[in-house]
Amino acid sequence: MSPRKTELRHPLSLSVTHILLALADGARHGYAIKQAVEERSAGEIRLGPGTLYEAIQRLEDAGYIEEESARDDPGNGQEAQRRYYRLTPDGWSVLRTEIRHLARVVDHARAHARLRRASLT
Amino acid sequence: MMRLWRLLLFAYRADFRRRYGAEILAAIAAERKLPEYRGAAGSIRHACRTFVDITASALRQRLAPRPAHAFRSRHMDTVRQDLRYALRQLARRPGFAAVAILSLALGIGGNTAVFGIVDSFVLHPFAFPDASRLLIVGRAFPKLSTGTDFIEVLSPAEYEDIRQARSFARTAAFDLGNRNISGGDVPDRVFTAFLIDDPFPVVGLPPFLGRGFTADELRPNGPPAAIISHRLWVSRFHADPALVGKTIRVNGNAATLVGVMPPALLLVGTDLWIPWGATPGRVPRNMRNFSVIGRLARGASLASTDAELAAIAARVAGDHAAQFPEYTGWRLVPRPFANGVLQDARPAGLLVLGAVALVLFIACANLASLMLARASGRQRELAVRVALGAGRGRLAQQLVTEIAVLAAAGGAAGLALAAVAIRASNALVPAQFTAFGLGASVNARVAGWCLLSTMAAVALVGILPALQSGRTEPNESLKQDARSMAGGRGARRARHGLIVAEVALAVMLALGAGLLLRSFANLQRVDSGLDAGPVITMRLTLPQEKYRGGDAITAFFEELARRVDALPGIRRAGLASQFPPQAFIRLRVMVDGAAPAGGETLPTTFATIASRGYFEAIGMRLRAGRLFDDRDRPGAPPVAIVNEAFVVRHLGGRAPIGARIRVGSRPEQSAPAEVVGVVGNAVNAGAASAPMPEVFVPMELGRDAWNQLFLVARTTGDAASAVANIRQAVASIDPDQPVYAIRTLGQAFESGIATQQLSAALLTIFAAVALTLAAVGIYGVTAYSVRSRTQEIGIRMAMGAERRTVVWMVLRQVFVLVAAGLAIGTGAVQALGPALGSLLFGVTPIDPVIVATTAALLGAVALAAAWWPAWVASRVDPVVALRYE
Repeated sequence: MSPRKTELRHPLSLSVTHILLALADGARHGYAIKQAVEERSAGEIRLGPGTLYEAIQRLEDAGYIEEESARDDPGNGQEAQRRYYRLTPDGWSVLRTEIRHLARVVDHARAHARLRRASLT
Repeated sequence: MMRLWRLLLFAYRADFRRRYGAEILAAIAAERKLPEYRGAAGSIRHACRTFVDITASALRQRLAPRPAHAFRSRHMDTVRQDLRYALRQLARRPGFAAVAILSLALGIGGNTAVFGIVDSFVLHPFAFPDASRLLIVGRAFPKLSTGTDFIEVLSPAEYEDIRQARSFARTAAFDLGNRNISGGDVPDRVFTAFLIDDPFPVVGLPPFLGRGFTADELRPNGPPAAIISHRLWVSRFHADPALVGKTIRVNGNAATLVGVMPPALLLVGTDLWIPWGATPGRVPRNMRNFSVIGRLARGASLASTDAELAAIAARVAGDHAAQFPEYTGWRLVPRPFANGVLQDARPAGLLVLGAVALVLFIACANLASLMLARASGRQRELAVRVALGAGRGRLAQQLVTEIAVLAAAGGAAGLALAAVAIRASNALVPAQFTAFGLGASVNARVAGWCLLSTMAAVALVGILPALQSGRTEPNESLKQDARSMAGGRGARRARHGLIVAEVALAVMLALGAGLLLRSFANLQRVDSGLDAGPVITMRLTLPQEKYRGGDAITAFFEELARRVDALPGIRRAGLASQFPPQAFIRLRVMVDGAAPAGGETLPTTFATIASRGYFEAIGMRLRAGRLFDDRDRPGAPPVAIVNEAFVVRHLGGRAPIGARIRVGSRPEQSAPAEVVGVVGNAVNAGAASAPMPEVFVPMELGRDAWNQLFLVARTTGDAASAVANIRQAVASIDPDQPVYAIRTLGQAFESGIATQQLSAALLTIFAAVALTLAAVGIYGVTAYSVRSRTQEIGIRMAMGAERRTVVWMVLRQVFVLVAAGLAIGTGAVQALGPALGSLLFGVTPIDPVIVATTAALLGAVALAAAWWPAWVASRVDPVVALRYE
């Protein structure tokens, strides 16, 4: 990989956070990331193939995720060609920071009388 | 489609594409399989979303600041540099850019629109999977001098023969008719196919709901079953998903609805399928009202099917020709389904596609000559750059980049233009297509064609200027001064060649349009043989379940004719089994006492059942004898009326009145009818053909009762306004009886020549665009040449040349080019003439009037285009010109 890392802007966009979150379960290949994100956001976030890999590239360049060197079980031919991505230690720490940050937002919102009933429960 | 996506990936940076390209393609393929993208609409949605997604992310990526570490390709850098340079160049001359983009948009958009239309109606009209392997079997009886026909042309016994062919994996046969579906307020009359065998596996599409017919339902007297079209399911049954398994009523009889067809219309647009349910062996071999379709077996081809069917035809001829002489030499003809069903639109479609390609050529030639002019204007700049070390390839690449930018903008605008045009085109489509439920839409093939046209435009426009710029000799160019710089001989020749080509192409289009317009005018002027005036026609089909036997049918129609006759606003009403301009039903004919013509085969004639009032209603003129009247009633001796063509062909020389003729599928067995009248010829074999022999037999005699007749009524006022009254008259006899296929006689004639009308209209538009583009081209080249010759003109004027002489000098050059183009274009049309044959009527490919008109028009256009530059040339002030450097 590259010697220098490019920085991603913070706070991370919602779709990027979702992608990192999807990888927190373990390594996934690109299309599985997309499926997990769309499922978890209840379809609110749509990742087209182009957008997905654009985000993957940025996360890779930023050093938050990396390609898994080799799958233990190549399985059938197709499976073997797929590339799997996992979180790097940097990625974990960014995700934790991000989640903490989001949790604070949600806490504040929960404390707010007019918002509490509206959407959070 | 995946190929297109792979191309689109080139929008990304090379490093990104190499890293993720394969994965992205895999993701696109996986997404395509999601349920939300199923069906035609789904494919389009998927294509649109993917396109937007890819282009948007590629654009974001390219616009984003490049990470410092990223792999930099030198090649990509020069492309970027060229792009920036091209954009700067174009921005500096927005007028040029606008004209270039607009003419490319017209050329590419026109091409794409016409391709879309031709594609959806001629090339890929039916949405069947692997459509080229779905065949329809037609037949020709040379003995009866029939052409090759495909719809309703084979008997059940012949279908049984065809079914033996191993080349077909699955086959089905259908007879077409109409059935009433009841329940609801209005009885609905729907276009129906009566099926032998299940068509779903043949067309290759699964039912939308339910299933196809089982063997049990298809056998004679099996349990009654029905399948309806998707549109009927939506419109009549409110898309009720629980409908399958329920009972519906077809002509009053209960039938179980077992399936719903997919949304694409199948089997020539039928809305209801029911099993035919009779025994093939019981039906005579010459009761030919079935259409036969088959799906090729694995490994079989059109050629192998052809050979196998030829063997079958020969065997059938050997077995049955004694009883059915028409089998001698008969042919079974397999064709791809679309070609068989829509055969006569192909030449028109391809002609229009070719014509619009010429328009694109002209637009490209125009742009090429503009670019050439600019390239030679920039020769010095280019020479300097070559001298400073720029590679020649690099210069050419830069030029091509500029053209590609123009073409991309033109292509994008063209696609938008095409989308609008394609949507609008559905209103212009001849009825023969809409009857099958066809419609034009933008699909992946259309987008691909747009891309192809754009790339072709880049190649066409780019090749000459690129070659020219590649030839730049820095030494020469730098030594030359402004005078000779602009007019390198090669460049001038290239520009002149382009003008000749443009003019030749425009001439071809103008001549073609002229020929089609003349043909169309001739077709409209054909003497129909009928009296003028408003006539309304409509069709009625009496359900066999309700009207059993000929007496009931005849009684209904007689009463109907009587009541409609009595309506206000109706001059005369009558009924007939077919009417001008197109009859379909032919029977064989024998004339008593005449030697059978042409050996043992009997000739055929159009045979029409007509009521008393029919002749006056349609406007046929009595030439001799009498029309049908009160004497012709059940029990009276059989009589017939014939047209003049019949007298000439079959009664040659004999007195027609009193002649005895026999008409039928086996005329030797039918009773002779006495000819009591002769009517004038009226068009009956299509507007473009001479009238054929026709026999009319009286409906009132009740011998040949048909349950399906046309009501024809001559009205005093507007024909269409009589419809409501006629409907009421029908309802007053039988409130459940629908009328359909309502049109005026004028509309019936128009629909027969709709294809010619449409192609004439389109070609005229193209020719106008082509002439305009050619004018722009002529103007551009002349203006350029005048500008580059300013000094020379100045010298001439200083030496005493008159203004008139200067104007003539400029114009003469233009006229030489135009004359050359005219000659080449006319020659090309003559060479291509035979291809136009089927579309022409009453004109030869080289019609002197049309050629002269085109030449005059072109001369005027050229004069108009060259006049201003010539005038400018004549205003040159010698003093200024000589100083001009």
